[in-house]
Formats: sequence, structure tokens, C-alpha cells
Amino acid sequence: MELMAPAGSFEALQAAIQSGADSVYFGVEQLNMRAKSSINFTLNDLPEIARRCNEANVRTYLTMNTIVYDHDLSIIKTLTNKAKEAGITAIIASDQAVINYGKTAGVEIHISTQVNVTNLETVKFYANFSDVMVLSRELTLRQVKKIVDGIKKENITGPSGRLVQVEIFGHGALCMAVSGKCYLSLHTHNSSANRGACIQNCRRTYTVIDKEEGYELDIDNEYIMSPKDLCTIDFLDQVMATGISVLKIEGRGRAPEYVYTTVQVYREAIDSVLDGTYSEKKVADWMARLDKVYNRGFWSGYYLGQKIGEWSKKHGSQATEKKVYLAKGMHYFPQPKVGQFRMEALKLSVGDQILITGPTTGVVYTEVKELMVNDKKVSQASKGDDFTMPIDQIIRPSDKLYKIVAS
Amino acid sequence: MVVITHQREKCIGCYYCVELSHGRWRMSKKDGKSTLIGAEENRGFHTVRVSDDEYEVNMRAAQSCPVKIINVKKV
Repeated sequence: MELMAPAGSFEALQAAIQSGADSVYFGVEQLNMRAKSSINFTLNDLPEIARRCNEANVRTYLTMNTIVYDHDLSIIKTLTNKAKEAGITAIIASDQAVINYGKTAGVEIHISTQVNVTNLETVKFYANFSDVMVLSRELTLRQVKKIVDGIKKENITGPSGRLVQVEIFGHGALCMAVSGKCYLSLHTHNSSANRGACIQNCRRTYTVIDKEEGYELDIDNEYIMSPKDLCTIDFLDQVMATGISVLKIEGRGRAPEYVYTTVQVYREAIDSVLDGTYSEKKVADWMARLDKVYNRGFWSGYYLGQKIGEWSKKHGSQATEKKVYLAKGMHYFPQPKVGQFRMEALKLSVGDQILITGPTTGVVYTEVKELMVNDKKVSQASKGDDFTMPIDQIIRPSDKLYKIVAS
Repeated sequence: MVVITHQREKCIGCYYCVELSHGRWRMSKKDGKSTLIGAEENRGFHTVRVSDDEYEVNMRAAQSCPVKIINVKKV
């Protein structure tokens, strides 16, 4: 089974590669579901993304899954051609314009969850264009398995001649709309979710009032439109037993350490299921690690079929840890394996747990074992200090150093 | 006089500005982003000076922009 990671930045891309992802997906320019995100790749980044991933033997998928207007047709062609030229593995599409042009141009197309594939006949239809399909996030595992079995039984093959592969979401944000098709953000802020500009106003608190009689409805939780995050780690054996080919992690808008931790945990879990060592004890450890990075609380989504919805209880993340920015990278001395940093805020002490992220460095978690300021050993570095510390990974000027604290 | 500024790079091609002020904005066939007609570019900011009668429609375009990259100012 393939483990697919989100990459919203070079930091996250590097984190995905380091933590054992088999493939990554990302958007460039405006035609993707995270178009509003401040850190979007551009067309010129495509060759570099492809280069890094090819080197690491990681497959690359370009998302082009918004709704499409006439004025987008030429950028679709440009993006498709450039993706092909750069050697991107496939394009994830939902609009027929993108699907059709991809087919004409000879680029592999994957069907996005935005298409909302929920049955075998739809799989047959899209098999004319695509070898991999992401199913709707609202299906149960039983329904997923039925589709996977149906593909085998009826020998449904894609353009490559191989059986169609099924992909599902394994972890990350869910929203109240069916597979992301939501009007709320457009309605209130003119900002269309289906053009990648969702302002996530569903994540706020709301009160519901009966305007005719003025009664406020008694709802025990004000986050009535914000579901918790999907997490399948505690029943991953059942997920894999459906026979799906690809497990996708959501989160192109999230930080590199989220990608790093989540991919690492799911990598270990998939390998454990395969070698027969998947256990409750391991699940408890994985859950504790997933808890540390951004999350809105976890539930099993619709996969187990028994629950209608679990809503988030507070705004933003419920992660048990947070990062505090302290210093920027300066230099690396490879011989003694020492990194130099400049403190830009607060204090750093020996024994602190730290996180270093960077577009080339990716994600490094470590502990401060020793600190030197002006060639003297110290127990603490303060704002303005240039300090060095021993570290195995190469440190670059583009790196940022954070302290990890309980939240 | 009215000064309109557009931070074009961040445009997501939603089409609102063209719909509301089609004499001043058009969609680029090249990259699917909106273009401010008559504007000059300086470090990513596209700016044009227009007469007062264009103020209202372009204000509406600025308010509708989902990524808030249009600025309209009376000078």
C-alpha cells in the first residue's frame, strides 16, 4: 500500500521524504484546493520538486482539482504540459476539462475526492480516463471494500491496462460538506472553497436561534459545523483489509512537523500491519505522537459507520505540544558536526527539546546537549547571542529553530 | 483621482473584479489571473490612476476580492 503525504511547502516536502512517504501531492499556482494558502509552489518549482522526489524514489502528484472556468483553460494546458515536462507522476483532477486535457496530453490522471466517487459504476466511467481514484470521504469501510472487490471481480482497468487502484483518506481534517463541496465560505465572504479559497468559517462557534419565536436552540457544543480530524491509526488493519492501494494524509496547509510526525507514524503502522506486529500497545504510542502535532481532536470519520459526526470542542489545534520560535540557522561546521545559530527571541537552555525546520533541511527533532557562546560553554543562550551546538544534521541559513513546549 | 492597486501574483482567478468592473479588469488568457487594465507594475504591485467615476465599481471589486489584493484609494 502506498502512503501519500501532503506538501504545502519545501519544508513539508522534505519532511515527507524524510519520514518515509511513498508519494507526495502538492498544488502550484491558483488551481488547487489550497490556492489561498500563503505558501504555494509556483510553476517554476516543478522541476525542483520532481528532482528531489525522483532522487528519493517518491512519486509526485500535482493537484488541479478546483472548479474550472473558461479563462482557466489555457493555464490548465500550461500546467499540464509543464508537469509532463518536469516528470511529475500524475495530476489529481476533478473537472472534466482537466481530465480530458490530461488524457490528450498523455499525462496520468488521478480522480480527486472532489468528484465524490461513491460506487462501482462511477469507477467504471472514470476508468476510461484514470488508473487511480480517491473515493468519497463519507463511505464506510464496508462500502470501500465492496468497490475494491468489484474492480477485481469485473476486471475494471484504467488507461494503463492495469486494475483501477483505490485511494482513500487516512488522516487529517474533515469538513461538514460532502467531499469538500461547500458554499459557506463563498456565501459569507465571497471566498469560494471550490476555488481553493475556503476561509474555514465552519471552524468557528455558532448559536442557533429560532427567529420566529426567538428561542435559542439548546446545543451542547457551539462548534456545530467543525468536525474533528479523521484518524484511522487504531483500525488501520481493517482499513488495509479492504484492499485499497493508496492511503492519503490530509494537510497541505499544515506545518512540516505535522507532515513529519503523521507520515512517520502511519509508515510504522502500515509496516506493522504487514509484518504482523500491529498491537494495542503500539497504537497507544502512535496516538500519543499524533496528539503532539496540530489536530482538532480525533474520530474515525465515517469508516466504521456507527457514528453520525463528532464535532470539535475548541477552536484551532488541540495538539499537546507547540513550537516557539527562537533562532535562525547561520552556519554548519561539518568536521566537528556543529551548527551555529543566532538567537532572535527568548532563551534556549541545555536539555531543551527543539525542532529545526527548513526548505532543504526538512524537519529535525532533537535535544540540546551542549551550548557554546563566544567559545565558552554555557547553560543558556539569550536573544542576540550567536551560539553553537553539536548536531548531526547539516544546518543552513534558511533554517528556523523552535523550542518544543507543552501547550 | 482614484488609484487602484493590484497585487497580481496572489490572484486566484475568481472573476469577481471583471464581473463588477469589466472596463477596468480582464482575465488573462495566459495565466488565468485577473489583469488591471492600463496599470504599470512595480515590484509585484500593479497600479493605475483613473477618474472618480470609476471609484464605486472598483471599490465593490476590492470588497468582493476573496484574497483581498485590490486596493482602491481616492487621492
